[in-house]
Amino acid sequence: MDSPELATMPLPVLEPIKGVKKAPLEEYFTSGHRTCQGCESALVMKLMIKAAGPRTVVLGSTGCMYVANTTYYSTPWVVPWMHTQLGSSGSAAVGTAAGYRALMRKGKIKKEPINVISFCGDIGGADMGLSAISAALQHVDYNHLILLYDNESAANTDIQATGSTPYGAVTTFSPTGPAKRIFHTRWKKNTAAMLAAGHPECRYVATVCASYAVDFMNRVRRALTIGGPTFIHSFDPCPKGWDYDPMLSHELGELAVLTGIWPLFEVEDHTLRLYGKSKAIAEGRQKRLPVRDYLLKQGRFAHFTEDDIDYFQAKIDDMWTQWLIPGVLPFAAEVLNDTPPA
Amino acid sequence: MARTISVEVVYRGIFQKTLAKNICRGIVLAARKEGKIGIAFGRYGDSPERNGIPAKNFAIVAPDEETLQLSMAQYEPAESDITIAVDDTLCKGVESWAWYGLQPINEKIREGGTLVVTSTLPAGEIVKFCHTKAHPYRLAVIPGIPSFSGLWVYKDDHTDVRILGALPKVCPDLVSLDAMLAAIKDEWKSDLKVTSARRSYEQTTTRTVGPGEGNPEVPYKFDLPGWTRMREGVTIEGMKLGEPIQFGGQVGGYRPQRNPYFKKYTTRTMRPVIDFDKCIKCTLCWLQCPDSCFDVMPDQTYDLNAEACCGCGVCEAVCPVDGCITMVNESAFTDNKSQWEMWKTNKDAYRQWVAEKIGCRPERSHGFRYKGQYEEQVASMGAASGGGQGGGE
Amino acid sequence: MDAETATAVTVAAAEQEALISGSEAVAVASRLADVDVITAYPIRPYDTMMQYVAKQIANGEQDAEYIVAESEHSQFEIAKHASAVGARALCGSSGVGWCYAFEAIAVTPALRLPLLAMVGNRALDDPGAFGTEHNDALAARDLGWMHVWVDTAQEALDVTLIAYRVAEDRRVFLPCAISTDGAFLTHSQALVKIPPRAWVDEFLPRYDRGDLRFHPDNPITIAPQVNEDWLMEIRRQTDQAMRNARGVLEEAYRDFRRIFNRDYGNPFFEEYYTDDAEIVLVGMGTLSMPVKVVIRKLRAEGQRVGFVRVRWFRPFDYERLGGLLSRFQAVGVVDRDFSMGSPYNSGVLANEIRATLYGQPKQPPVVSFITGLGGREVTIPNVREMFEHTRKAAETGASPRDTLWIGVRA
Repeated sequence: MDSPELATMPLPVLEPIKGVKKAPLEEYFTSGHRTCQGCESALVMKLMIKAAGPRTVVLGSTGCMYVANTTYYSTPWVVPWMHTQLGSSGSAAVGTAAGYRALMRKGKIKKEPINVISFCGDIGGADMGLSAISAALQHVDYNHLILLYDNESAANTDIQATGSTPYGAVTTFSPTGPAKRIFHTRWKKNTAAMLAAGHPECRYVATVCASYAVDFMNRVRRALTIGGPTFIHSFDPCPKGWDYDPMLSHELGELAVLTGIWPLFEVEDHTLRLYGKSKAIAEGRQKRLPVRDYLLKQGRFAHFTEDDIDYFQAKIDDMWTQWLIPGVLPFAAEVLNDTPPA
Repeated sequence: MARTISVEVVYRGIFQKTLAKNICRGIVLAARKEGKIGIAFGRYGDSPERNGIPAKNFAIVAPDEETLQLSMAQYEPAESDITIAVDDTLCKGVESWAWYGLQPINEKIREGGTLVVTSTLPAGEIVKFCHTKAHPYRLAVIPGIPSFSGLWVYKDDHTDVRILGALPKVCPDLVSLDAMLAAIKDEWKSDLKVTSARRSYEQTTTRTVGPGEGNPEVPYKFDLPGWTRMREGVTIEGMKLGEPIQFGGQVGGYRPQRNPYFKKYTTRTMRPVIDFDKCIKCTLCWLQCPDSCFDVMPDQTYDLNAEACCGCGVCEAVCPVDGCITMVNESAFTDNKSQWEMWKTNKDAYRQWVAEKIGCRPERSHGFRYKGQYEEQVASMGAASGGGQGGGE
Repeated sequence: MDAETATAVTVAAAEQEALISGSEAVAVASRLADVDVITAYPIRPYDTMMQYVAKQIANGEQDAEYIVAESEHSQFEIAKHASAVGARALCGSSGVGWCYAFEAIAVTPALRLPLLAMVGNRALDDPGAFGTEHNDALAARDLGWMHVWVDTAQEALDVTLIAYRVAEDRRVFLPCAISTDGAFLTHSQALVKIPPRAWVDEFLPRYDRGDLRFHPDNPITIAPQVNEDWLMEIRRQTDQAMRNARGVLEEAYRDFRRIFNRDYGNPFFEEYYTDDAEIVLVGMGTLSMPVKVVIRKLRAEGQRVGFVRVRWFRPFDYERLGGLLSRFQAVGVVDRDFSMGSPYNSGVLANEIRATLYGQPKQPPVVSFITGLGGREVTIPNVREMFEHTRKAAETGASPRDTLWIGVRA
């Protein structure tokens, strides 16, 4: 029964931010959180909402950015914030957006753009919550952004391995010992590309890193203004879980990109774009740094032998030389050369 | 006469977790050597420890099970015979959780009890940080750089056994030196660590802190509302937006509202010192700060709100100007005053202040050192025994 | 609004009669209540309600966001969050589907979200079975959900409207589960009076979440992590809301009677031939049908027997129910559920009744029965047998030391 006018919800106007000096002064995520020294995920929260602005509601599924952020009857949030369950970031976004849509369509509340952002950690996004996020990205009637802040372990619980933990990393569920030097043998999930490839109606999927603040904020703005459900996967160095000096959080984010471990890309209306340093790497304008520069700064890789580092390097080299789309789609190039029988 | 003895270990989050655990285990195992029994436990709510944020472990030792039960506590014992601060900056007080308020480091120490601190500062300097108490207690200083021994890789600088070695000296009722050394030998199978403990026993000195001596400031605290006054639906008021800053005639910039229930500055071991003359207004310190602790000033420079800063050092790392932001040992400061206002009021005095702070010793880091650095530093301190086995660094 | 205008409304629009199932009655009620967000997931037998809602929407008779979730967990979470922004929400499930949603079910009461869920009571796997059993809904009995068991399609429709009114009352703000026996009620059609929308609008005010609304105009933080310093206070608040629900329920039923001219008597439990009864059976749901038949037969034979059907299981009207039951010489409690290893190895309701009687000056013997599991029919002979056991207890004045399974093959 919806008339098209009623069916489509209004979208916000959020112009791209042109340089750090144009970043909004207002903080909608301020002090009062109990995150670690040098917590990159706390920075992700701050930049995410700085980009989104005041007409936003945020839903946070269980994890560091829940427990450490709003912890113990205190809050750093200026905008409305609500907890949701570990596997529910997708459902929370859909339920909130659907509620607004129904109430606006029926004239029960003022019809206006309201940004709905739902975030999750790597368990909430790449593991337990994956099914609900997949469903959320199919509901094209609802405008919302699901942001996965990925610190590569269940850092809040006690730093346990997840589907996003890199190969070989030490966690409390994957310690190193005389019988098992490498305990965690799974390779990190390629979550953003998987969601982009699997949900062709989803208009925007991007990977980001808060070390590049302006790029980060502009991707959030794009996701909120394009319409429909969108997904952003953020790479968040974690001094606690990775065992490095908090001072290095920013540098490790850059190193993950410069070594090619974390490709920065966005998929907008079926068009894939590598951007920033990753684009430069793909175009050969920037030489990939050796992964050891990144690995050896972290206690979680301190047990790595030269062979382990070489193996890690080889896997990253494959990403950039063998993948159908370098750094994004892990299919062998043979697929292209496949010729049908005469 | 045998009695229950409570030991409290206050430490800085995950990178001192193993250190604190070693200390409490050592105490209980040593007491066992003398037929006593004990328990070692961490404050459940602190786990998983956020790095830098003050957390607590406890060891309680008693002659027998029933006496032990008298002093058992699920979270924290009511008072301590010994409180150990494994980092001297903890002496400024600790705020572990929102609504906990600022707890003096010596809050639990009973009359005649002892505060044990690892520091390179003289006792007189440390006393200035500690809040005043109505009754006398003692202060023992174990010379040494605060040890951040790490998580996955335990960078062993012997701080654990040097603290253990000092305990029989400051509290003979707890355990004898022989028992302690025997326990250390059993637990770590290392003569070097036994030597470190013995050296520490010989060198540790204590002084009495009199009533009213120390920091007179009254620590902030909060009253928790009851269920009839709390908002329903597990809701609380959000934070308010910030406002432009007024200074003299100038108005402009932006100061976010900051949460009164958790200030976070007791997490800090280093503090950024800003040379405003060098600032090029690039915004990076402000933009990249995870704790939103920089205020945008009317002149577009960025001032530190020292009550919100937890000292991560990202601002120094991202600042493109050499020497514009320098992380300085927190023990060099006695207040949280605005650096910008100091600079505005008297630039010459401020430049002098900056030079003095930056030049100040002891040098400080988050404890992540290049390979071998621990050994050099520990060896360079007469008090220390000959370094460590280097963990797996 | 005053009685005069109410009568005026009554005259103005008459009720329509329709032949619909209990599930469909809930769907019709959701249309009358103008529910905003409805979340579905397929599982028998409750899904017949969602099928009917979908058809009403497809036909343009109902206006709601209709979301087919990818799991029951998401289904309940979506409805939960819609409720948080101030939208009237409906979901539901059955059997193991209800269990799959259990995390969402557990967290909803403390958030004080007046969500409605229809439970088409169904046996829990394994083995898979379609038939009714009350253990699915009862698994959530202690968490702060209101729970009601209805008996007829008409009651299903009426109670759905009443449940929204009570759940959305600011003094309550708690979720409510409406239990309907699988097959017996969800799949059998009966003649139901469908009230005009005007009556419903008068009875059911708009859901106003007030200062708890999740919206940019109301900057609050909802459900921040708490430690031991806070949780007891929060539990006590939810406890108070459930206590308040008792009075609010009474008000709602009074208004319902005034506006819809249907009188349910005591909202919490139905009494059948209890006035002069010596012994009674107590049970929930569609069980009442065979029991009432038997009561009429036994009364014809001169036996003073009666029946008490518990409607509202949470909040539980222990004061009045205890006062009533203590009058009888013996009480037989019929459970369509089990509580393995519980006192007397009985079902859930039986032990609730024992606890209820404990506070009474006079305590008649309680005989507990487990029957009709997995949708097995409770037959006339089964009911006669249960009355006989209860009669014996009345004569001896002693309860059997164990629970009797009725209609099970040895």
